[in-house]
Amino acid sequence: MSEQALAAVSAITAASPEAAANISLEPVGAKSAASGAGFGDMVTQGINHVNQQLMVSQTDLQQLSVGNAQNLHQIMIRLEESRLSFQLMMQVRSRLLEAYQDVMKMQL
Amino acid sequence: MEYERTFAISASGMTLERTRVEMAALNLANANTVAGPDGNVYQPRRVVATRAFADAVTQGLSAPSMSLEVTQQAPRMVYEPGHPMANAKGFVAYASVDAATEMVSLMSAMRSYEANLAAMTTSRNLALKALEIGGNQ
Repeated sequence: MSEQALAAVSAITAASPEAAANISLEPVGAKSAASGAGFGDMVTQGINHVNQQLMVSQTDLQQLSVGNAQNLHQIMIRLEESRLSFQLMMQVRSRLLEAYQDVMKMQL
Repeated sequence: MEYERTFAISASGMTLERTRVEMAALNLANANTVAGPDGNVYQPRRVVATRAFADAVTQGLSAPSMSLEVTQQAPRMVYEPGHPMANAKGFVAYASVDAATEMVSLMSAMRSYEANLAAMTTSRNLALKALEIGGNQ
């Protein structure tokens, strides 16, 4: 079992350098302006992702209530995943609102 | 996202342990079955998880590659002369299921399941804690 776990962990660590390489230090706006996508598109994409996850967990719950559940733990894990992405969305939203309110309260 | 992959690893482990529990239950359920007229008696089954496990994990929520192996064991011969399935010497062939072995595998499967769950909960708590960064103190 330990060898398999090691292999799984090494698969993850092998994947993360790519992810780290994808992160650039330029501001997001500058990069997205060049590619034609704005900040709003990014937010829309994120919300779509969260919505997709919520839909998946809804389907899972429907399957569970009908009695088609094959894997209880997978359903629960997907629920947790959708909860996490929803929380992430809420955090992004509160940061955005905070920034907006700070700007609106600015003395001119 | 990364935590999804950690979840996938734990989910594979949980699937494996659940299959082990199911196999132990199947073996226990067949513990007192006798050989049919064809002489075939139930053989206990074992779950064998292979090395491809790790590859399956990276594909997302997928089950580990495991196989069910049928063990080859001599049937348990019990002297019951009055039994309808008794042979000429009065012995009945029962499935050679060892109740103690099955109980131990049930126990270890449950503990491993809990361990997988603990790992999953930890990564979930890490993600939730990370979402608190910069929040209201």
